[in-house]
Amino acid sequence: MTDLLPLRAPARADAALLPLLRRYEPAMLLWLALIAVLLFLVVTPLFILVRQSFEVPEGAGYTLANYVAAFADRLHLRALGNSLLLGTGVALLAAIFAVPMAWAVARTDMPGKNLTRLLVLGAFVTPPYLGAIGWILLAGPNAGWLNKLWMAATGAKAGIVNIFTFPGLIFAIAAYSYPYIFVFTAAALELVSSEMEDAAHILGAGGWRTTLKVTLPLVWPAILGGLIITFLEAIALFGTPAIIGLPAHINVVTTQLWQFFEFPVQAEVAAAYAMPLLAVTALLFWVQRKNLGRKGYVSLTGKGGERRLIQLGAWRWALLGYTLVVGGISVLLPFAVLLQAAFSRAWGRGMSLANLTLRNFDYVLFVHNTAAQSIVHSFVYAAATASLAILLALAIAYIVSRRLVPMARALAFLCVAPFVIPGIVLAIGFYSAYAAPPIALYGTAALIILAFTTRFLPIAYTSCEAAMRSLNPEMEDAARMVGGGRFTALSRIVVPLLRKSIVAAWILVFIPATRELSAAIFLTAPNTQVMSVVLFDLSSEGNFEYLAALGGVLLFATVILVAVSLKLVGRDFMLRRS
Amino acid sequence: MKRRSFLKATPVASAVAALVPWARRASAAEEAERYAAAKDEGQVTWYTAHFDTQTAESIGNAFATKYPGIRANVVRTTALVAFQRLSQDLKTGIAECDVFSSTDLGHYVRLKPMGVFLRYATPNAAELLPQFKDIDPDGAYFVTSAGLICITYNKDKVKETEAPKNWPDLLDPKWKNQISVGHPGFSGYVGTWVVEMRNLYGWDYFEKLQANEPQIGRSINDTVTMLNSGERSVAAGPEATTLESAARGNPLGVIYPSDGALLMVSPSAVMKNSRRLNAAMLFMNFLMSRDASEILVRNFSPAVVPGVGPAPGAKPLAEVKTIRPTAEEITAGIPEVIKRWRDTFGA
Repeated sequence: MTDLLPLRAPARADAALLPLLRRYEPAMLLWLALIAVLLFLVVTPLFILVRQSFEVPEGAGYTLANYVAAFADRLHLRALGNSLLLGTGVALLAAIFAVPMAWAVARTDMPGKNLTRLLVLGAFVTPPYLGAIGWILLAGPNAGWLNKLWMAATGAKAGIVNIFTFPGLIFAIAAYSYPYIFVFTAAALELVSSEMEDAAHILGAGGWRTTLKVTLPLVWPAILGGLIITFLEAIALFGTPAIIGLPAHINVVTTQLWQFFEFPVQAEVAAAYAMPLLAVTALLFWVQRKNLGRKGYVSLTGKGGERRLIQLGAWRWALLGYTLVVGGISVLLPFAVLLQAAFSRAWGRGMSLANLTLRNFDYVLFVHNTAAQSIVHSFVYAAATASLAILLALAIAYIVSRRLVPMARALAFLCVAPFVIPGIVLAIGFYSAYAAPPIALYGTAALIILAFTTRFLPIAYTSCEAAMRSLNPEMEDAARMVGGGRFTALSRIVVPLLRKSIVAAWILVFIPATRELSAAIFLTAPNTQVMSVVLFDLSSEGNFEYLAALGGVLLFATVILVAVSLKLVGRDFMLRRS
Repeated sequence: MKRRSFLKATPVASAVAALVPWARRASAAEEAERYAAAKDEGQVTWYTAHFDTQTAESIGNAFATKYPGIRANVVRTTALVAFQRLSQDLKTGIAECDVFSSTDLGHYVRLKPMGVFLRYATPNAAELLPQFKDIDPDGAYFVTSAGLICITYNKDKVKETEAPKNWPDLLDPKWKNQISVGHPGFSGYVGTWVVEMRNLYGWDYFEKLQANEPQIGRSINDTVTMLNSGERSVAAGPEATTLESAARGNPLGVIYPSDGALLMVSPSAVMKNSRRLNAAMLFMNFLMSRDASEILVRNFSPAVVPGVGPAPGAKPLAEVKTIRPTAEEITAGIPEVIKRWRDTFGA
């Protein structure tokens, strides 16, 4: 050490400071900085929301009347019950879709793994709203393609599937949220070393038994994290319930909330009505902590470990079939029908050569004022959001998992609280807090990025926390024992070891940020328009051919993005470990 | 500091409007003066829920072309978002919006007593079609957009002769599972239609409609998508969007109901706190101009001034029997019918 000291004699204070800095415990300082950021991003909008729920509309003073208005109505309560049921259904169905695929990709010799990952990615980048429209065209009871096919094939008078039902709604949402569980689970499965499976084999357990009793339980925290995220996303989603739920006469919390903002506007009642969602989030994360609290799930240790693929034999084709079915229903079929509309002059005329045109693409790319630009915006804002959110989440997850400061749990709760605040409510809180001077973010991209960062902090935090949980602290302890400070341990041990988890977490925030609708609707200005809002507007304006063409452009842009990223980042981008 | 000639708002009494040639000359002079002052302001921001995005943008561009040196910032969103933004702006003292155009009459009824609108009778207000004049007796807001709700249908599935001719025809059991409507809780258009149907036929109308199991979309334009997909064959739908889709070749038709197509009128207002009052007044006047109405008609909406139109494929407004609830009926009625709608239809 000493021989590295500078040639010219430094001031004595410097000499004393340098080693001090190296061993300095910066956690308290960092903690304060993070508190400040969270105050800005989460606490202020939350506080505004809570305060508003007690405010007298258009008057002074506080009241409980908003809560009475929100919860004394039988139909409002039913909407709340519908949301909980919907969230549960979506989480379970998404797990059924995702866990076998994740296991197949991570642990077995199933063929077509890259195709599988591409399909999952395709499902992930599809705005749920767009997918839902695709499914209306596929499974509408009177004219859905699948039903027409069935009627043509069997001569039946009626179709067999109806998307406008509660199970239909669950299905249409799960088909676009299962990637969360897939990514969490696949990432965790790839870390589990074969040693533990070998141990089970030696003790006489068969392949399936080992998988069910050893492998999957080891990644339970990841699956649980994915279940919670899909549950929360399902109850916070507006677009799909609006176009599939309402026609089926199913009201949920988000569609009810939206109505509170239509004439006659009852913003205060809306704030009160959003409160149970916060309670549900708190409860879920409490359950998660109780459930995982005492068990150990460390799989990433300093020791090596061999990871072998399981030979499935003929079963691997069955598994591939399952994967293709899931990929088909989430990506291939809906995009087939959307593309038909995208290339049609008049999509109501069906498929024919005379009806074929490229005009719709020309329109969305070159004529429409904001459509083409909005795709670029969506990707840029989402990238900024993901970077910010991951930085913040990593720091907090580290502090929480290593218990560096008191009240760390409170920080953790603040990180996960924003997810269920319905987008529009969060956005209005953000707008009123930060659009006006002194912050004056009106009409800027920063306003959108900060709001998105808040909105997706829970995903960032959940995945960073899961990553931390898998990391045995003994490796950092080792670094510190040989003289490294906390920063050294972080930058030389933690970050490199978790690099892949961090990339995966980044993607997990990036993608939903590209498709975020309900907060964006409120915060975008003409020069900061994003794709999801343009899609929503085109749909509200009844311009279906254009809507489909923009969906096609989005899919194409994603494929390009993936191809470029594969070159730049390597295969990590495909959510895959080398 | 640049010269800021704040022209005093000059209410044009309707008696004066009768003296058209005089008024024209006066308005031309006023316009020139206003334009000179507005050029110093350089821009105008328009929060609008009127029209679709492209029509709104076209109007903004046409304004900028007609008045070089003044840029129109078109912030086009849904009525709900426009209103929430404006409310937040007013709360926090942002004066971003200069001209406000919502499709929801209730927004104006709520905002006007707060004194946020400039009472300003633009010269062109006197030129509006008779049915659009004087929507607000105090001159705080003026009709700048209109639309019709008609019976719309899919021509591949329903022959014109068999299509419903009036609103009660939709209650015929032969349309069971074939009807598409919007939701009054999500669309001011649908809310107004429901209020008017209740006026004409009582709530019984919707009890019977429920027996036909209509598909309930969100926005009134969702009916266009449902008809095109073939999922439904008849609807209470918007004239403009349906005609636009039909003009592309989609198999859609519009029937003007014999008991009356519902006429929706949507006003605009100049914000009192505007930092660009002259540009705002100029823009407001432009919204009620021939130029603007010609853009409306090209985009399949009815014109708001005489002598323009009709839109391609549309019946001239003068020949259409229209019905419309009063402003009071709309603002008082919509909250009531939303409640009853939910009780009847369950969502």
